[in-house]
Amino acid sequence: MTVPVLELSAIRAGYGRIDVLHGIDIALHGGEVFALLGPNGAGKSTTLAVACGAIVPSSGSLFLCGRDVTGCATDAVARAGVCLIPEGRGIFPNLTVGENLRMATFTGARYRDVVDRAFTQFPRLGERRRQTAGTLSGGEQQMLAMARALATDPAVLLIDELSMGLAPIIVEELYEHVRSIAASGLSILIVEQFAHEILGIADRAGIMLHGRLMHSGPPSSIADELAGAYLGGER
Amino acid sequence: MNKTTTGDADPVVAPAGAAPADGKGPAMSSERLAQFEDEVAKLKVTGGGVNPERLGAKWGIGLTIVGFVVAVIAWFSANGAGNMADINRSQIWAVIGVGISIVGIAMWVRNSITRYLRYWIIRLVYEQREQTEAIVKALKEK
Repeated sequence: MTVPVLELSAIRAGYGRIDVLHGIDIALHGGEVFALLGPNGAGKSTTLAVACGAIVPSSGSLFLCGRDVTGCATDAVARAGVCLIPEGRGIFPNLTVGENLRMATFTGARYRDVVDRAFTQFPRLGERRRQTAGTLSGGEQQMLAMARALATDPAVLLIDELSMGLAPIIVEELYEHVRSIAASGLSILIVEQFAHEILGIADRAGIMLHGRLMHSGPPSSIADELAGAYLGGER
Repeated sequence: MNKTTTGDADPVVAPAGAAPADGKGPAMSSERLAQFEDEVAKLKVTGGGVNPERLGAKWGIGLTIVGFVVAVIAWFSANGAGNMADINRSQIWAVIGVGISIVGIAMWVRNSITRYLRYWIIRLVYEQREQTEAIVKALKEK
């Protein structure tokens, strides 16, 4: 029996006095890929915000390696090794690719190591090292966000809507990267609206609706529930 | 979910649902996992909801008021004092009160500026992002 590297237990959280999550239980184990699926407004991004410590739950607990770290500072959680790739890429558009990667040295990593790792995994970024990040294509910006995250050598990676606003062929390419990252043994909690690609990578998946985790289990069992969840809401 | 908790501080966690024990996912390298556990063990848990700048600003205002009250009480005390020893004692209290007020004001200023700068930089980042997107869009349209 292993202790999950990240666990959300009976989480209720939201914005101001309005709760968006109504008792979420998710356990992410070492080396596991957990896909969180659901329509817009289901609370997926809020779940990730709680997981990285950006939102403190109104009740329930966040555990890392079995330790209750609810209320820890977000930067401390990030330094410990929980890294979020936010929706909309979360890069600095006015900085160059190299300067964006320099931002990843906050954990104490050397710039040269960060750059080497990033350009080995994403050679296309190396060609655009001096280009302003905002002028990269959507896919390249997402690669930069991933490179920045991976450069910090995270133990847990939280990915929010990797496919947002991208062409299917680019999404496929990005998911190839996610697949190789997952193969390296990193624990990944990934949020997606579109299930096709991610269910092929995930070890487990869950469907969120109206701030609740309605179903969770192996991807094969989730696939059957998906259409009903998206089209018909709760069943 | 098979989780049981024996008190807030010492949760006993059992894996929920199917763990990657199905063998599909590769286990995280034990070295990295051990390092992560060490980092997590070092985390300072504040208990949640604490905003250090807001808390600091509140403490600053509180200390300023307390210092002012101490100084006023000392002033009245000195006014009604009949001998130099009492007046000296009141003077010392007045100086302490003023000192507390100065510390409070400094704390309030420091934390208020930090909060302001934090919001300012977030606004700047968002504005720059929007500007860059607008420029890129305009260039693509040309």
